[in-house]
Amino acid sequence: MSQVIEEKHEHRKNWFDKYYKFLMLIPIILVIISLVYIGNFYSKHNDIIFRDVSLSGGTAITLNGGSDYSHLESGLKQKYSDINFRKLTDMRTGDIMAFVIESSAESNSLKADVESILGYKLTSENSSIEFSGPSLGSNFYNQLMMALLISFILMSLVVFIMFRTFVPSIAVIFAAFSDIVIPLAIINYLGIKLSAAGIAAFLMLIGYSVDTDLLLTTRAIKNKEGFLNHRIYRAFKTGIFMTITALCAVLPAFFIITGLPDSFKQIFLILSLGLGADILNTWLTNAGIIKWYCKSHNIT
Amino acid sequence: MVLQITQYNMKLHWRIWVLIIFLMFSFLAIFVSFSPFAISAFEKGVLIKSVEKNSTEFNAGIRAGMIIKEINSKTMNEVLDYSNFISSINSDIEEQKYTIVSDKGSFIFLTDKSLTISVSSIPKTKLKTGLDLSGGARALIRPVNVTLSDAELNDLISVTSERFNVYGLKDVTIKSVKDLQGNNYMLIEIAGSTPSELESLVANQGKFEGKIGNITVFSGGKGDIAHVERAGQQAGIEGCSDVKDGAVCRFTFPITLTEESAKKHADVTSALGLDSENSEYLSEKLNLYIDDTLMDSLYISKDLKGRVTTQIAIQGSSAGLNQQEAFNEANANMKKLQTVLITGSLPYKLEILKLDTISPTLGKEFTKNLIILAVVVFAIIALALLIKYRKIKITSAVVLTMFSEAFITLGVAALIKWNLDAPAIAGIIAGMGTGVNDQIVIIDESVSNAQISLRERIKRAFFIIVGAFFTIVAAMLPLFWAGAGMLKGFALTTILSVLVGILITRPAFAEILRKIQE
Repeated sequence: MSQVIEEKHEHRKNWFDKYYKFLMLIPIILVIISLVYIGNFYSKHNDIIFRDVSLSGGTAITLNGGSDYSHLESGLKQKYSDINFRKLTDMRTGDIMAFVIESSAESNSLKADVESILGYKLTSENSSIEFSGPSLGSNFYNQLMMALLISFILMSLVVFIMFRTFVPSIAVIFAAFSDIVIPLAIINYLGIKLSAAGIAAFLMLIGYSVDTDLLLTTRAIKNKEGFLNHRIYRAFKTGIFMTITALCAVLPAFFIITGLPDSFKQIFLILSLGLGADILNTWLTNAGIIKWYCKSHNIT
Repeated sequence: MVLQITQYNMKLHWRIWVLIIFLMFSFLAIFVSFSPFAISAFEKGVLIKSVEKNSTEFNAGIRAGMIIKEINSKTMNEVLDYSNFISSINSDIEEQKYTIVSDKGSFIFLTDKSLTISVSSIPKTKLKTGLDLSGGARALIRPVNVTLSDAELNDLISVTSERFNVYGLKDVTIKSVKDLQGNNYMLIEIAGSTPSELESLVANQGKFEGKIGNITVFSGGKGDIAHVERAGQQAGIEGCSDVKDGAVCRFTFPITLTEESAKKHADVTSALGLDSENSEYLSEKLNLYIDDTLMDSLYISKDLKGRVTTQIAIQGSSAGLNQQEAFNEANANMKKLQTVLITGSLPYKLEILKLDTISPTLGKEFTKNLIILAVVVFAIIALALLIKYRKIKITSAVVLTMFSEAFITLGVAALIKWNLDAPAIAGIIAGMGTGVNDQIVIIDESVSNAQISLRERIKRAFFIIVGAFFTIVAAMLPLFWAGAGMLKGFALTTILSVLVGILITRPAFAEILRKIQE
């Protein structure tokens, strides 16, 4: 019996020892692709994300209920070049719950035009109107980006204080960086317009995604019982389950909550993407770097 | 040996007791509230939202915030009971007797007018939902090309509050907010339905006029009133005295007029005679208007007739059921009057930076869905844990801890009267996610590696947990300031729930786990 376990362990050891440097590259390549995509996106749009009207300035009008608004669409398109429309559907029943009109236009003129096409007044009973001035929008956006940077620096400090060694700390920080970059590229690819809450979700991702990296690094370099591969494997077993349960909490939040507020869905979409990316970043790249580091420092 | 076991049991109780005590506190905070004056969610009756000042019922002692249990022996359990009662009153009878039983005692009075009491049902919990869920309006305002000091911003806020009162808008909160770059804004939030004239209401400072008869003596925006003394020796409550049915307090404060408006005042008053009823005063009063609504009428002392004086003392008095109430009333009236007069002297234009009016309809749907979401999340996580560990006890311990964490976080939110908006609720859910993660670390650490003591293994788990805690806090901290604090709720609930986790539920969970594994 013990021989079987020994052999199994041996097999696992050989397998990971053989491929870890290769495995490490997979997420790194993904990060590079994402960075190139974001860079290309920047050169096209002069920004690293699509901002919604709360961050770029403009008006969003949400009409309650699921009527047919095609005449409204065609009517408004003639006057507003940058206008776009969205339907909010109930994921369970498929019913359309609301219709969203977004434009950089000022709220009064857009509201008046919507009212004249629909033939009735917009009140707080039948609609929501959100307006953000352009200066405030970009001001908020800059501040949130600044907050993202500050939060990343603070997180890095915490990691350095915890481990007090350069390479393992950098590995954790790199994983956190990748956890932001990959979802960001996907969000851009999907053409999703980020709200303030969406950017806040990226901040949260910084804190949310590093716990598996902390687990891995602690088990690999702070604890000394058993073989290194075994410790990494044990950390993997715990960590992957952690990520799965975290996904169990955030994925239903994305699928079940329907209708407004959009901000809510966006937070959970970004957290889900980040957690998904984190599986690769932690268990391929970070584990690889830790393995390499331990080997060169004779930690077994 | 026996002694050791007892000690161990004592310790086990201690950590779990902390959890139980916090759960009980949260229950109180959410459903009952700690303030002795606050209303418990279990109380029966209808809550008085407002009573018109100086109405018969107001003078009888009925105030907003009281709970009506009975009117004329009819039980009031819901708003419908009250509206049924009101419609049942025979308006032909000239004078009607009312006996109102409230939580603060009974009130009996006679009146020939209809009641000015407006009521609502007693809220089920002390939890407050944010604008995006309950509906309402929000505006972020800043003066154009001027940076306001904190004091100036507070003036703007009290002026705006006064104007909202003029329009009879209830449930309005107006406060100052700061952003990362130190900019000051005024944030106005209105719960419930929003008035159609909201935009003009928030974007303007209001039209202020002081008139004697039909002639405008001074008006706002031109700086006719150079200064309003608001504190110090010359401004305040002069004295109080007891009168029949209560007490009266008098207040006074000086204002400074410009030369020009002082002359105008002298011109107008020189033509006036003396008041026929009280010869100490002139025949016309000084009437103060905001947005063409009469705010106050002041008698003009006969000494001021035709005199060019830039210093005028404004005096008034207020009555109450006792001296304390009269004092508070006088103070409030003085502040209001000062604010009205200052309205005329704010030297800047306002700009609406953000104006949202949110319909309550979709928010209601969302709140309903949240409960379904909570059940689904708990069920899926419980299932995942059951599949992995195949132990009902461990699974229930995790689910119980998750629930406790969310519940205590809500308890704290209720206690500090935090408005839970959608991002704040997202923060609680995300916090639950990290909570489960931490518990998995504890479980895996505790079942592993029998060579090391359980205590040591749990210590190791806590190293990871504390690290994860600090990274979350570090990541969320900047959100308290970025974007004028619009996402404060998200940061606050996330930090709160991880804090509750690390201080209360995690230690208790480790103890429960130790107990299970023994």
